[in-house]
Amino acid sequence: MPENILHLLADIAWPAAIAIAWIAGEAGYRWLSLPRISSYGIAGFVMAVSQGGFLADPSGGPVVLLANYAFALILFELGYRINLRWLRKNPWLGVTSVVEATGTFVAVFLLGRLFEVPVVASLLLAALAMSTSPAAVLRVANELRSSGQVTERVLHLSAFNCVFAVVVFKAVVGYWLLANDGSILHVLWNSLVVVAVSAGIGALFGVAVPGLLRTIGRVDQNATIAFAAAILLMTALTGSLKFSPLLAALVFGLVARHQRMILSQAQRNFGTLGNLLTVLLFVFVTTTIGWKQAQTGIYLALSVVGLRLVVKVLVSTAFARLGGITWRKGALTGLAMAPMSVFVVLLLEQSRHLNLGALDQVAGVAAIVLLLEVIGPLATQRALIWAGETHRTGEH
Amino acid sequence: MALEPFKDSKALSMGVELELQLVNTTDFDLMPSAGDLLHLLERNKFPGDVKPEMTESMIEIATDVHTRYDQLLAQLRCMRDALVTAGDRLNVALCGGGTHPFQRWYDRRIFDKPRYRELSGLYGYLAKQFTVFGQHVHIGCASADEGLYLLHALNRYLPHFIALSASSPFFQGIDTLFDSARLNSVFAFPLSGRAPFLLKWTDFSEGYFAKMEKTGVVKSMKDFYWDIRPKPEYGTIELRVCDTPLTVERAAALAVYLQALCRMLLEHKEAPPAEDDYLVYNYNRFQACRFGLDGVIVHPKDNVSLSLREDILSTLRRIEPHAAALDSQAGLDDLQREVSHSGNHASYLRGQFHEAGSVNGMVNAAVNVFRQGVPT
Repeated sequence: MPENILHLLADIAWPAAIAIAWIAGEAGYRWLSLPRISSYGIAGFVMAVSQGGFLADPSGGPVVLLANYAFALILFELGYRINLRWLRKNPWLGVTSVVEATGTFVAVFLLGRLFEVPVVASLLLAALAMSTSPAAVLRVANELRSSGQVTERVLHLSAFNCVFAVVVFKAVVGYWLLANDGSILHVLWNSLVVVAVSAGIGALFGVAVPGLLRTIGRVDQNATIAFAAAILLMTALTGSLKFSPLLAALVFGLVARHQRMILSQAQRNFGTLGNLLTVLLFVFVTTTIGWKQAQTGIYLALSVVGLRLVVKVLVSTAFARLGGITWRKGALTGLAMAPMSVFVVLLLEQSRHLNLGALDQVAGVAAIVLLLEVIGPLATQRALIWAGETHRTGEH
Repeated sequence: MALEPFKDSKALSMGVELELQLVNTTDFDLMPSAGDLLHLLERNKFPGDVKPEMTESMIEIATDVHTRYDQLLAQLRCMRDALVTAGDRLNVALCGGGTHPFQRWYDRRIFDKPRYRELSGLYGYLAKQFTVFGQHVHIGCASADEGLYLLHALNRYLPHFIALSASSPFFQGIDTLFDSARLNSVFAFPLSGRAPFLLKWTDFSEGYFAKMEKTGVVKSMKDFYWDIRPKPEYGTIELRVCDTPLTVERAAALAVYLQALCRMLLEHKEAPPAEDDYLVYNYNRFQACRFGLDGVIVHPKDNVSLSLREDILSTLRRIEPHAAALDSQAGLDDLQREVSHSGNHASYLRGQFHEAGSVNGMVNAAVNVFRQGVPT
């Protein structure tokens, strides 16, 4: 009998966790004005088995597929909102992006060396630190119904620095593999080929799905389900082939946009499906972290989080006027770029099959993820509110 | 505070104000970006006047005072190009059109200025539903009485301007079957409609306005949302029924149509305006809003039904000598083509809707037309 109950409890663990996290999200939003996703993260961390909770570490399990899918939906939406023509019309945006990403990479690498982290591990850490997690940025922007220059820029910069992060991360992995087993084929496969093929799969979907929809007709009604189904297929496909679902989803959105098929407003966030999966995604991220693990790297983590934010704010402020916005909005754009957790966790999860011993040496990663899961969305939320780009409620 | 005296201005001078939409480049919904755009425009010298409007997704531009069509058009084009360039730097698209076809009024953000917040508090949802975009044309008047004469003499031509400028067939996501759905939003305001039939400025300012002010309902001329209203501080009358057309070229053509019409009316060859002209006024206005150039109006003097299209074409012929004197025939030719071949911008937008299959695609087309100047 007790065995049956244990089974039952194990079966309902994740659904129950999602329900609890959702309640926490609503409560935190109402009483503390916390972004909902911050509360999901805290709830996930508390419920994780490493903190004495009931949620086993989901790494490698079926929940990962769902988390990847949730993130892929977000990345697709982000890709769809990226206007590449803007880069041509306003080159300073591109300059800001390259400088803030490079600056972050160099600064965090040097910091890692200062903390006596080995070279390869420092490089990996620096690559991860470049990224701004699109999940947090897009969710917070949608939650606040924010729009304006800070919102637009943070979304674009986040998409670009994620691409940089994936590419550099894969390159460092390639370098590391080369140093360890020396098989040039293995190296190329895990860096160049993975990046190129993932982007290729995304581009293929980006051409095929809108084409299919056009053939069927009634674009505005079918689009949401069609894209959601296509993304699910693509996530499963790239996941099992060990390619990068993240890159594929982003490119999918980007290519679909430039096919000039226009989505209607109703499809923001992928509606209820997107909202539900977001709860799962943010709970998932913190259940991968144990308190002990986080504690050991706390000083490095605090330094990385602080330094990364300083670089991003400085660069974004420095190019603000040239890019056509005020200093203030430039600084706020930098602040809004704080989040990075979801992106990092999923990128690491997808690299699990490589047995990246190098990264296990960086104890700080867990702490960084935990810190930014809570603080990151809060920073984005404050930045957007201070920029005056959010929808003020309560007015008549 | 009494109404200020009517400042005399150069007869038949003109100025154009356009309210423009700011939309994003992804799904083409309205985008609250007036503040960002104004910041950028302030840094470079803007070839005209630009200011925020009631909601953050709208800006208003105004030309200088002109007498010539070519100069008016040149300035409008300069302003258009400056706006488009600034918009490109901020990933904000601009377009004309009297309504945004699918915006939801409760999503709008009121521009942070005391007057707008006050209006928003008074009118509630009307203020946000008032996110509509119009063209205003000012015509200079040599005297206040001449202004009032023109204001009322124009009553029979008002439907022309509605039909020619109509560019708001969609509202809140659906085809309203009106060519100008925008005016329906304007009519919801308590002080909209027509000006009282007074032809002497003293009767207007010391009689009507003073009494209205005493009631506490109005404080200034700005509180009247009339179709045509006197603007004493400029010494002009202001025509306010036009939707913002999709192109600045059409906006300039509408302005010179009004200019030439006023020149003709000032010859006093037509029967003088009378209070009874207004018996058919609202009906005619409805016909123009609903059916555009296909509307049928009733002539106020002899009660004959007229096709609006025919009436405009014959008016264009009658004002030819005046257009020649004002050197504005090129503008009127544009309207002539519109009436006899291409149709107004409302029908252009409907065509784009069917082609693109979505309201979003329709706004995309409006953005391109605004940029290029000609519907393709």
